[in-house]
Amino acid sequence: MIESAVFGLLSAMILVPAILAVTLKNIFHCALWLVVSLTGVGGMFALLGADFLFVSQILVYAGGITVLLLFVVLLSGSPKDWVVKQVNAQWGWGLILTGIFVGLLAALFRKLPAAPVPNPSEPTTARLGLLLIRDWVFPFEAISLVLLAALIGAVHFSKRDKTSC
Amino acid sequence: MLGLTGYLLVSAILFSVGMFGALARRNVLGILIGIELMFNAANINFVAFNRYLHPGQPWGQGFALFIIALAAAEAVVGLALVLAIHRNFKTVLSENLTMLKG
Repeated sequence: MIESAVFGLLSAMILVPAILAVTLKNIFHCALWLVVSLTGVGGMFALLGADFLFVSQILVYAGGITVLLLFVVLLSGSPKDWVVKQVNAQWGWGLILTGIFVGLLAALFRKLPAAPVPNPSEPTTARLGLLLIRDWVFPFEAISLVLLAALIGAVHFSKRDKTSC
Repeated sequence: MLGLTGYLLVSAILFSVGMFGALARRNVLGILIGIELMFNAANINFVAFNRYLHPGQPWGQGFALFIIALAAAEAVVGLALVLAIHRNFKTVLSENLTMLKG
């Protein structure tokens, strides 16, 4: 009973800020609403028994990516961007397409067999650590290379010009 | 309502909201916000399937962890590109970036 109440609250905390984040005019407010929505997703992870993912979500998404996004909004935006129209000419088609998409998915979910209710979950951090270091060690190292490449690429793209570096 | 179907429904709606943002926004930063929402919807799906269909196994959560890391890399490179676009074109609206149109 209390679980479904928490689920309803978290759903509202995810979906309402998400809708605000894609419809508001001021892109700074959009980024702030995105923080609320991502925190709600983290709460959903906690409700699903994924404690390590909950912490990662708060640290990486709500803490890191959105701060980066706010920096770029402040560096690249001008106040006149906050009063112009925010949707392009095809927004009606986009709305129709996403409506059809979510309708089809909802119709599909009605045919799903009911999944059994799982047992109370146990802490997952030890299992995930073993997974990363033992079973998936090669993808783990590969993703460190990807992150290094992203770091170098970000420095390269945001460098002012060739002489000032 | 609660159960696997509820989680899948929330995730589907979140994905659609993000898709609408990525399709309909003019601002490049708005498109990036939509893409982040889509990543998160996929993560909810992975963790929910992990919890309900394979409880006690770490695979779905591990995959979601990798998605978070890749989304961080994507956001860093994307935002650096937005900064470069703003410096060169003095705009962040996507329909003004018509350099390849000839």
